[in-house]
Amino acid sequence: MKVFKLFISAAITIALIFMLDKSWLVQGNRLPPLGKFFDPFHGFWKNMEAKDYTGRENINIPGLGQAATVVYDSILIPHIFANTDEDLYFLQGYITATHRLWQMEFQTHAAAGRVTEITGPGKDSVILTYDRGQRRLGMVYGAENTLKFIMNNPVSKMMAEQYTAGINAYINSLHYDDLPFEYKLLDYKPEAWTPLKCVLLLKNMAQFLSIGDKDMEMTNALNLYGKDIVDILYPDNERISDPIVDHAGKWKFKPLTLDTVPYALPEALITTKKLPPQDPTTGSNNWAVSGIKTKTGSPILCGDPHLNLSLPSIWYAVQLHAPGINTMGASLPGAPTVIIGFTDSIAWSVTNAQRDVVDWFSIAYQTNRRDHYQFEGKWRPTRKVIEKFNVRGTEAFYDTVVYTHWGPVTYDRNYHGAKNLTDYAFRWTAHDASNEFITFYKMNRAKNHADYMAALEHFESPPQNFAFASVQGDIAMRIQGKYPVRRKNEGRFVLDGSKRASGWQAFIPNDQNIMDKNPSRGFVSSANQYPADSTYPYYVTGTRFEAYRNRRINQVLTDKNNISVEDMMKLQNDNYNLKAEESLPYFLTCLDSTKFSAAEKQAYTILSTWDYYNNVDADGASYYEAWWDNLIPLLWDELQKPGAALTTPTTFTTIKLLKQKPGLNFFDIVSTPEKETGKDVIRKAFKLGVEEIETWKQKHKAAAQVPWADYKDSYIGHLLRIEPLNIHVKHGGNHDIVNAHSKTHGPSWRMIVSLEKSGVKAWATYPGGQSGNPGSKHYSDMLERWTSGQYYSLLYLRHQGEFTSRYFYTVNLKPTEQ
Amino acid sequence: MKFISKVLIIMIAGYVLEMFLPWWSIAIAAFLGSALIRSKASFVAGFIAIALLWSLKALLIDFSSASDLPQRVAIIFPLRNKTGLIFFTAVVGGLVGGFAALTGSLLQRKRRSF
Repeated sequence: MKVFKLFISAAITIALIFMLDKSWLVQGNRLPPLGKFFDPFHGFWKNMEAKDYTGRENINIPGLGQAATVVYDSILIPHIFANTDEDLYFLQGYITATHRLWQMEFQTHAAAGRVTEITGPGKDSVILTYDRGQRRLGMVYGAENTLKFIMNNPVSKMMAEQYTAGINAYINSLHYDDLPFEYKLLDYKPEAWTPLKCVLLLKNMAQFLSIGDKDMEMTNALNLYGKDIVDILYPDNERISDPIVDHAGKWKFKPLTLDTVPYALPEALITTKKLPPQDPTTGSNNWAVSGIKTKTGSPILCGDPHLNLSLPSIWYAVQLHAPGINTMGASLPGAPTVIIGFTDSIAWSVTNAQRDVVDWFSIAYQTNRRDHYQFEGKWRPTRKVIEKFNVRGTEAFYDTVVYTHWGPVTYDRNYHGAKNLTDYAFRWTAHDASNEFITFYKMNRAKNHADYMAALEHFESPPQNFAFASVQGDIAMRIQGKYPVRRKNEGRFVLDGSKRASGWQAFIPNDQNIMDKNPSRGFVSSANQYPADSTYPYYVTGTRFEAYRNRRINQVLTDKNNISVEDMMKLQNDNYNLKAEESLPYFLTCLDSTKFSAAEKQAYTILSTWDYYNNVDADGASYYEAWWDNLIPLLWDELQKPGAALTTPTTFTTIKLLKQKPGLNFFDIVSTPEKETGKDVIRKAFKLGVEEIETWKQKHKAAAQVPWADYKDSYIGHLLRIEPLNIHVKHGGNHDIVNAHSKTHGPSWRMIVSLEKSGVKAWATYPGGQSGNPGSKHYSDMLERWTSGQYYSLLYLRHQGEFTSRYFYTVNLKPTEQ
Repeated sequence: MKFISKVLIIMIAGYVLEMFLPWWSIAIAAFLGSALIRSKASFVAGFIAIALLWSLKALLIDFSSASDLPQRVAIIFPLRNKTGLIFFTAVVGGLVGGFAALTGSLLQRKRRSF
């Protein structure tokens, strides 16, 4: 009997250990191994860093060439001092991995369509659908093309290989205890890093910034409404913004010209349900002010890229120091070099160029087998790639992607295909080989304007507006990228894939790209607006160009002289809502005050006295934005129809049409019997907006006020989209405002550099922190200053021994004897 | 008295073994401690020992850290709050400790009966 009891008890113990050592799926949610995860000696508790935690002071690393030093400052920015370029990139990889390993790997998995390997297929296979989309857009195809090219250049090959070796040296040193929190939560382990992953990360950024297009939507609009309406709803150039470069009549080069081809429109509507586009309100600001306008007499450069804000933070600040290089700024975890930053002589920052570098070509197959497609009157063979998805917890999934010479056929009968089975091949400049590593290698060592120009010769994707300033006193802007030479209207609609003439015939030569140096107005600036005046000899089109931030920035910069760094901080955090200034007075005249309810009357009073600042505590901003958010779906209801992919006009065009053509047919609300004008819709949206505010007030303990920051309720989302890991912030601003912080998107790295001859000075902050570990105090320690418009003065060291009192701790790194 | 010394022995052994071995080493500690020292209520002794060991360690970590991660983990699971999380941590460890201790005590009696 006792033997029996012993046996039972032992069996229970062993079964319990087995169950608690294994990850389980419970109602579609993956539970970590509970014993392993909750064990405070090894599990997630181990990821909690003590308040005064510092890393190890001496580290021996196999693969490092010579001894090196890393100094950390109070916000955990590493200042890496190496003796060779090889060691510098090796250590950048090693140190970045120390703080951001999980994020780096997760983002490259996301880029490569491999998330299901970690999470499983997701509810209704959403994650598998996402992964398939990534492969079908040719993300890996583009990364592999680029990698070959990068590996052919000895410098970029060294960078990619050394950075990779550094990351792998870190991965190899890890035990379960040391694994980042997310690996423990999802119960998996990091795999070896490869140079391909560095490239995937750049493609990931290219996808964020340059994959946008509306070719199918525009094609449908053209079919449904005709050319005149398309030109009214979707003008290429709204002619309201200051172009980034205004050289009216002074473009002195002979442009490449092409014979025009008519665009071939498919007869049926395109019903493909496209992959969700990037948030169209994502944008960025950058500007550089010449010394003639600043207090110190030295140029000031300001950089402010806006992205989907996430945790761990998008950027990782770093200083890289070795013979011939001393640069500091923001790096992308997973790619070598500093991407936005400064050296001891120059500073640069980027905004997105918004140009259309994407096209869709209709494909006519010979047979259902999709082995051949029509091209120039002949049948050309396709290439079929079988993509394998190692979906966690279930059997592998296979997807056949057909490649044409244009590119992969993204949407077809097996993927997002709707009733009409026209196939479209996807062409994107990021599919092509390019070597941006060399751009940043050179930029990180640049001393003057000529070096900056030489560095940009290698930059192709994603097209960016590069602002520049130097201690020599120069300021400049260059809209650099690889742009197809387009015929008028080319790129706005889908193209006929059976004709060679439909394709890109040539690219704009680099020296004919839009650029500017030391303009007489004393500053350069860009905020994703239309790039050039109308005399620029190439046809320019894009998904949408910005209309508000750029005018506000240019207005402030034009009006101000004797500019200080504090003025620039203020401008980066400026909450002035120019869109409201231009629309609200008109909206208010549309209302009928005799029919107001009590709540509407209150709303009217608040709105009429609002100063147009989307400040944290502004009630007016809440009322205005609620009104606006209800207005757009009502106005453009016929553009949301399920039978055809369509897109809404821009904010600027919408306001313009409301004022100028209130009787426009589109403004009618289809679902109601009466015929509404723009004014009627504005009134209805006001009612709905006020109702929404009242509901919000009820939900918030019958609040008397609706402070904008509370109403907006913006948050920095964890990459895993697990709500308790998100951080909610109270912050002003919104899209279309210089402080472009919407609910989820916003300024991801605010930087100000004063290029003084006596020494470059810089300030920065970002919404998060240097550590990717949610158990570290450095996970989100910069958030507070970011939210309140304050900055950290960056510790830019000329040599290793400078300002030692400001060091947080120092790490000595030595090669391991092999 | 024996009960208390058993709890203490298991806690100490658990602490030492966890320094070198994975989480399940708590089972070894409870098993050995219980096989060595004879007392009543071995399951309870093992449960209390490991529950105490794990919750004290978790509390200590939480105390020395400035991070709010436990609060966030608590909501993920969902265990409401940090107290719930520490309680759950204690129960997970306690269960393994309890059954391992019970097994150890049964082994002891078995050996005596031969």
